[in-house]
Amino acid sequence: MNNKSAFSSKEQTQILFRLLSYLKPHKKAVLLALFLLMLTVIGDVTGPYLIKIFLDDHVATNNFEFEAIILLAVSYFIIQILNVIISYFQLVKFQEIALKIIQQLRIDVFSKIHQLGMRYFDETPAGSIVSRATNDTEAIKELFVSVLSSFIQAAFLIVGVYIAMFLLNPMLALYALVLLPLIFLVIYLYRKFSSVVFLTMREKLSQLNAKLAESLSGMGIIQTFRQEQRISEDFDKINDEHYAAMMNNIKLNSLLLRPVIDLIFFTAIVLILTYFGMASFNTAIEVGVVYVFITYINRFFEPINNVMERLAFYQQAIVAASRVFALLDNEDIEPKQEEREQVISSGLIEFKNVTFSYDGKANVLKNISFTVKPGETVALVGHTGSGKSSIINLLMRFYEFGDGDILIDGKSIKSYRKKELRNKLGLVLQDPFLFYGTIESNIRLFNSSLTKEQVIAAAEFVQADKFIEQLPSKYDQRVSERGSTFSSGQRQLVAFARTIATNPKILVLDEATASIDTETEVAIQSSLEKMRKGRTTIAIAHRLSTIQDAELILVLHQGEIVERGTHQELLAQNGLYHKMYLLQNGIVE
Amino acid sequence: MKVFLKLIWFFKLRKKEYLIGLSMLGLVAILNLIPPKVIGYVIDEIGNGELTTQSLAKWVGIIIVVAILIYIMRYYWRRMIFGSSTYLAKLLREKLFHHFTKMSPSFYQQRRVGDLMAHATNDISAVQQTAGGGVLTLFDSVTTGGFVILAMAITIDWRLTLIALIPMPLMAISTSYYGKLLHSRFREAQAAFSDLNDKTQESISGIKVIKTFGQQDEDTADFTRLSNDVVDKNMKVAKIDSLFDPTISLVIGFSFMLSLGFGAKFIYEGSMSIGDLVAFNTYLGLLVWPMLAFGMLFNIMERGSASYDRIEQLLEVPVEIDDKENALDSKPNGDIGFKIDDFKFPGDQASALHSVHFTLKRGETLGIVGKTGSGKTTILKLLLREFEGYNGEIRFGNHTIDDYKKQRLREAIGYVPQDHFLFSTTVFENIAFNNPQENREEVEQIAKIAHIHDDILRFTNGYETIVGERGVSLSGGQKQRISIARALMMKPELLILDDSLSAVDAKTEEAILKSLKEAREDSTTIITSHRLSAIEHAHLIIVMDDGTIVEQGTHEELMALQGKYFEMYQLQQLERLVEKGGEEIE
Repeated sequence: MNNKSAFSSKEQTQILFRLLSYLKPHKKAVLLALFLLMLTVIGDVTGPYLIKIFLDDHVATNNFEFEAIILLAVSYFIIQILNVIISYFQLVKFQEIALKIIQQLRIDVFSKIHQLGMRYFDETPAGSIVSRATNDTEAIKELFVSVLSSFIQAAFLIVGVYIAMFLLNPMLALYALVLLPLIFLVIYLYRKFSSVVFLTMREKLSQLNAKLAESLSGMGIIQTFRQEQRISEDFDKINDEHYAAMMNNIKLNSLLLRPVIDLIFFTAIVLILTYFGMASFNTAIEVGVVYVFITYINRFFEPINNVMERLAFYQQAIVAASRVFALLDNEDIEPKQEEREQVISSGLIEFKNVTFSYDGKANVLKNISFTVKPGETVALVGHTGSGKSSIINLLMRFYEFGDGDILIDGKSIKSYRKKELRNKLGLVLQDPFLFYGTIESNIRLFNSSLTKEQVIAAAEFVQADKFIEQLPSKYDQRVSERGSTFSSGQRQLVAFARTIATNPKILVLDEATASIDTETEVAIQSSLEKMRKGRTTIAIAHRLSTIQDAELILVLHQGEIVERGTHQELLAQNGLYHKMYLLQNGIVE
Repeated sequence: MKVFLKLIWFFKLRKKEYLIGLSMLGLVAILNLIPPKVIGYVIDEIGNGELTTQSLAKWVGIIIVVAILIYIMRYYWRRMIFGSSTYLAKLLREKLFHHFTKMSPSFYQQRRVGDLMAHATNDISAVQQTAGGGVLTLFDSVTTGGFVILAMAITIDWRLTLIALIPMPLMAISTSYYGKLLHSRFREAQAAFSDLNDKTQESISGIKVIKTFGQQDEDTADFTRLSNDVVDKNMKVAKIDSLFDPTISLVIGFSFMLSLGFGAKFIYEGSMSIGDLVAFNTYLGLLVWPMLAFGMLFNIMERGSASYDRIEQLLEVPVEIDDKENALDSKPNGDIGFKIDDFKFPGDQASALHSVHFTLKRGETLGIVGKTGSGKTTILKLLLREFEGYNGEIRFGNHTIDDYKKQRLREAIGYVPQDHFLFSTTVFENIAFNNPQENREEVEQIAKIAHIHDDILRFTNGYETIVGERGVSLSGGQKQRISIARALMMKPELLILDDSLSAVDAKTEEAILKSLKEAREDSTTIITSHRLSAIEHAHLIIVMDDGTIVEQGTHEELMALQGKYFEMYQLQQLERLVEKGGEEIE
C-alpha cells in the first residue's frame, strides 16, 4: 500500500511544505543560523576583494607601502579566522535544527502509534511500523541535514557573489546572469531523466533483494525440486537488469552532474576573459578585478556542485516522508471514551446483547449477554476461535463494538475515562510480555508513584518473591529482550505482580496458565487464587481444572454461549463441557 | 592496499576498462592544468597591454577545446571505472547466489537469512566502493596532486610552491584525525539509533501490555528520552563533521596568504608576473581535492578489505553433500529399506534417531506418528539426503541412497514440507514449480487431486493470482494444498507428506487422501501426522517416541495392542467431538 514511489510535482510540493512546517518551532534557531550563514557569505565575498585591492593597488603598481599591506593582511587574516569560526557554528546549528526536527517527527510518529487501535497492528507487520518511526525518519533527516542546508547555502552564496559582482562591474554581472538559467536547465533535465532512471534502479534493487531473500528462505524447496539452475537463471536475469539500470544511472550522472557543471564553469571563465579582454582594447583594466571575478566564479560553483550531488537524497526523502505522513494521517485510532467523571467502585460487569465482528462481515460474537457480580469469577471456555478472546478484547476496549453494550457498575463502558478503566481493569495476558530492563522496572512499568516497598509487596503477594530473591541481583536483575532468560512461569509471575501492583478492581485473565511449566504451576495456581479474592474476575481457561470454583462458567461455540452454569451443573448436563472435561483428564470411556 | 591485491583478478578481467578509465583520468588531471595557466597569460597580456583580438581568440579557444575534452573524458572515465565497479558487484552477487544454491540445509540452520542478505548487499557494496571510488581516489589524488605540484614548481616557481605547500600536510593530518574521531562517534550514534529501533520494536510487540496499563504517555516519554540520546550522539558527530569544511578553508586560506605575500615579493623582485601569481592561486585550489581524498582513502579501503574477506569466507564454505564418484545416473525406484542404528545432528551430543528399522514395499503407504521432537521429520531428512553421517543404511530399490546422484534421488521424491513455503509468483507457477512450461490441463488435473482447484478458481485472477509474501494471503490449508499439488507435479516415485494436512479440515483431508490413493496406485507414500485419521489406512504405521520406534503395525494391530497409539486415537476422537460443538457424530 505504501509502495508508491512516483509522485506528481504537486504532491511533492505538498509533502515538502508539510515537512517545512516542522521548522516553525525552531524559528529563532533558523534565523540565527541564517544570520550566521549570511556572515560567512559576506566573509567569502570580501576575502577575494581584499586580494584584489592588494593586487591592483600594490602589486601591479609596485607600491609596497608597508603599513597598508600589513593592514590588508591583518584584515584578511581576521576575516578568514572569523569566517572559519562562524561557519563552524553555522554548520553545527543547521545540523542541530535538523536533528531536533527529526526527533519531533519521531515522537509524533511514536505517539501516533500509541493512539492507533489494535486493528492497525493486526493488519500491519511490526517491522514496517518500526521502519516508519526509525528508518523513514532517518531518510528525511538527510533532507534537512544535507539537502536543505546545502540548498540554502548555495542560494545565499549565489546571491552574495552576484551582489559583489554587481558592485564591481554591473555589466559583466548582467552577462553572468545567463549562467543561472543554464544551471537551472541542467537541474531540470537531470531531475526529469533521473526520476525515471532512479525509479527503475530502485525497483530493480528491491526486486533483487526480494528475490534473494525469498530464494534464501525457500532454498530447501528449491533444492528438493531441483530448481537451482532455473532460480539461478532468474536471479541472474534480475541481476543483469539491475546492472543495466545502475549503468544508466552512471551514464546519466556522468552526462549531467559534475562534468556538465564543470563545463558551465569553463563557459563562465571564457565569458569573463572575453569580456575583460575586449574591454582592455578600449580602456585600462585592473588585473585584480579579473582575478576577483574568477575567484568569485570558483566560489559560485562549489555550492552548486554540492546541490547537484544531493539531488538524489531529495527524492528518497520525499518518498520516506510520504510514508511517514500516511501513518500520521491514519484514522484507525483506538476506541473513543466519553471521559465522564465516574468511578468504578463495586466491579459489576454486564454484557448486554453484544455482537461483534473484526472485519465487518463475519460475526465472531453473536448476541452475548451475561452478568458478573462484584467479587465473583466468570470463566470462559471453548476451543480456539470460539470467541473467548474477543470478549476480553471488547472489555479491554482494544476494539470498538457496534451492537449491544457492556456495562460496568451499571454505566456503559464507553462513558468512563480511559484512565479509570486502565486503573480498575487488570489484564494478564497469555504470553507474559517482559520489557528490556530489570525485574523491578517490569513490575512497576512506568508508574513512578509506586515505592520500592510496594513493588516488593506486589511480588510477595503473587509469590514471585521466592524466585526473585534467588536471583543474583534480586529486583535489579537484568531482563533481556522479551525476558528470554526466564521461564514462562517466572515471566507469568512477574506479570501477575505487575497487575497486582496497580490494585485493580476487575481482573481479566487471558489463559494465564496456558503456557506454564509444571514446576511453577502450583505457585501460579495459588497466586491466582489469592489475586481473585475480593475482585471481579473474568478468566479464559484452557485447563478446566483451574476454574472449577468459578461462580459461573460460560461455554462458547462459534461466537455463542452454548452452555452456562457451575462446574457441577455443566458436568451434569453431559454436553460440550462434559466432553471437554473428559478430554482434558484423559479419561476415555 | 592489500584489498587491491585481492581484487587483482578483477582488474585483470576488466583490464581494458581500467586502462582506458585511468588514462582518461590522468589526461583530465593534465588538461586541468591548462586553464589556470591560460588565465595567467591573459591577465599578464592585459596588464602589459599586449592582448590582441587574435591572442584573446587563441586563449579562449584553448579553454573551450580543453573544457570539451575534459567533459568527454570525464564522462568516459566515470563510465569505465564506476561501470566496472558495478560490474564487480554484479559478478560477486552472482557468485554468491550460485554458491548459496549449493549449500545444504545445515548451512542454513547455522546462519540467519538476514545475515546472508547483509553479506550480499552491504559487503558487496563496500567492495564495489573500493573497486570504484577507492581506485579513483588513489589514482586521482596521486596524479592530480603530483601534476599540480609539478606544474606549480616547473612552470611558475619552485620556491613559491614549497612555501605554499607548508600548511597542506596539516589538512591531510587533520582530516584523517577527524575521520578517526568521526568513526567512533558515528558508531555511538549508530548504537543509539539501534537502541531506538529496539525500543520501537519492543513497544509494538508489547502494545497490548502498554494499552492495558494505560501507559502510552509514559512509554512515549521513554521514547523521547532515547531519541534525545540519538540527538546528543548525532550532535557529537555533527560537531566533528562540521570541522571539515572550515579546516579546509583555513588551511587553504593560509596557503593563499603565504603565496600572495611571497608572490608579491617575487613580483617586486621581478622574477614573477601577476598572471603567474593568479595561475598559481588557481592551482592551489586544485590541490584541495587530492588532499581531502587521501584522508578518506584509508577508510574506504579498510571497509572494502573487511567486507571482501567476509564474502570470501562465505564462498569458501565447501559443498557438504556431494555425489560419489561413479554415482548412479538413474532414477531410483522400488522398496525402501530404512535401517538406522544411530544418528546425531552435526554438533549435537544426543542421538536424534536410534534403532529405527522398517521396510516399505513399493506402492505402499507408511504412516509415522509421534509427538513434536520424537524424530518424525528427522527420518524424512535422512531419506532426502539432507544430512549424512549415520550408522546404518537407507536403501531405495537395489541401492543405498548415496549410490545415486543427488539430483536423481531428488527427482524420485516429492516432498511436502511442514512449513508450506510459497514463492511470490502466480499460483500456476507455484504448482508447476519444477516445470513452468507445463500445460494448463495437466496443472488443473493435479490441482483437482490436491482439492485446491475450486479454491483457485475463486481467487481474483484464478491460476494467475500472485501468492506468497507480496501476493494475496491464503489460508494455511490452501497453502498446504498448493504445496501438495507442487509435489505431485513431479509425479514422484515417493511422495512425502510431512504433517502437510494439519491445516485442512477432516473432510477435506479424507477427500485428498482418497484421490491420492486413486491417482498414485503404484507409488510409495510416507505421511507423518499429528492427526491419526490421516494415517489410519496406511499399510504400516510406526509410532515414534524420543528418536526410536515404540510401536509398529497396521491400525487394527495397534488398536488391539491398547498402547500409546490406542490412547492417542481415543483422545483424538473426543477432540473432534469438541471441535464440532459436542454434537454426536456417527
